[in-house]
Amino acid sequence: MTGPAAASSGPSGGALRDGLVASLALVPSVFVYGSVFGGLAVQAGLTPAQALGMSVLVFAGASQFVAVPMIAAGAPPLAIILTTYVVNMRHYLMAATLAPSFRGFRRRWLALIAHVINDESFAVAVARSRPPDAWVYLGSAAAISGAFVAGVAVGTALGGLVERPERYGLDFAFPAVFLALVAVQLRRRSDWLVAIGAAVLAVALALVLPGNWHIVVAGLTVSALGALLLPLDDTPEPAGTCR
Amino acid sequence: MPVSRVWLVIGGMAVATYLTRAPMFLALARRPLPPRVRLWLRLVPLAVLPALAVPLVLVRDGRLALGLANPALWGAAVVFVLAARGVNLLASVAVAVAVVALLRALG
Repeated sequence: MTGPAAASSGPSGGALRDGLVASLALVPSVFVYGSVFGGLAVQAGLTPAQALGMSVLVFAGASQFVAVPMIAAGAPPLAIILTTYVVNMRHYLMAATLAPSFRGFRRRWLALIAHVINDESFAVAVARSRPPDAWVYLGSAAAISGAFVAGVAVGTALGGLVERPERYGLDFAFPAVFLALVAVQLRRRSDWLVAIGAAVLAVALALVLPGNWHIVVAGLTVSALGALLLPLDDTPEPAGTCR
Repeated sequence: MPVSRVWLVIGGMAVATYLTRAPMFLALARRPLPPRVRLWLRLVPLAVLPALAVPLVLVRDGRLALGLANPALWGAAVVFVLAARGVNLLASVAVAVAVVALLRALG
């Protein structure tokens, strides 16, 4: 047995393959998403190695899109890192849901597997079974991480080709990605309330606060207010993809 | 930003992100998170993404740019409506980027 599992839960090649195959439908869009990131990151002034290194070490697309224009604008490192943390806080929810399925795995493998927690694989594994199957999840994570990093590599090569990106509106791709990600997540009326409240507070703060602190402050304040005041969700699982 | 500083930022981002993934995963949480905490974690991206995007569209050089001559405003409306109607994310973004480029070229 060469897999990461201890004796209690043997690796299941069938489930691994299931997860991989189920994720193939997502591979093209994750690949393109990665290549858009790679291209825009290089245009914003990151080196190809930095864009690729970030994608391997951080491996969380939405937060990487957030960080690149902040790096380009010379925002304080702490503000960039804190913003990354807040954008990625949704991982706590996914990690807590996935964790029980991985009982019996060795800790050092868990430490590694934790790094590839991602929205798409979570969605695939949860859609297949509840609780999610560890091996379906791993098969999906292999497909998704491979597609993303390969996409970034191709994108960094292509991104250097465009000379004045703002001429083609490419600088607008960053806010456009964020707005598209919000639009697909708005389901309940209370979701709209949170999104609009955060937008209004962020604009107000952006006019008075230095750097990019309005993102973290407005994001945390309004989401916390929403969690305290809004009626509880009826959905048992975290909704969604935020990539 | 100097190259070494960018790597420092990337390293910090990597650590911060790992801290969102590993603790719950390694603790093998048997019990689900409290409902209010779950709700909060679900709402965070819904608050953070507009907090990011909307100032990028509406604030220019420290001032509000609410006028219809602001190309980003039109681009934002286009991407939002397309994505909300279920158009593929990248197609929505591409159309919005094209709209912004066109308006800039005309303006």
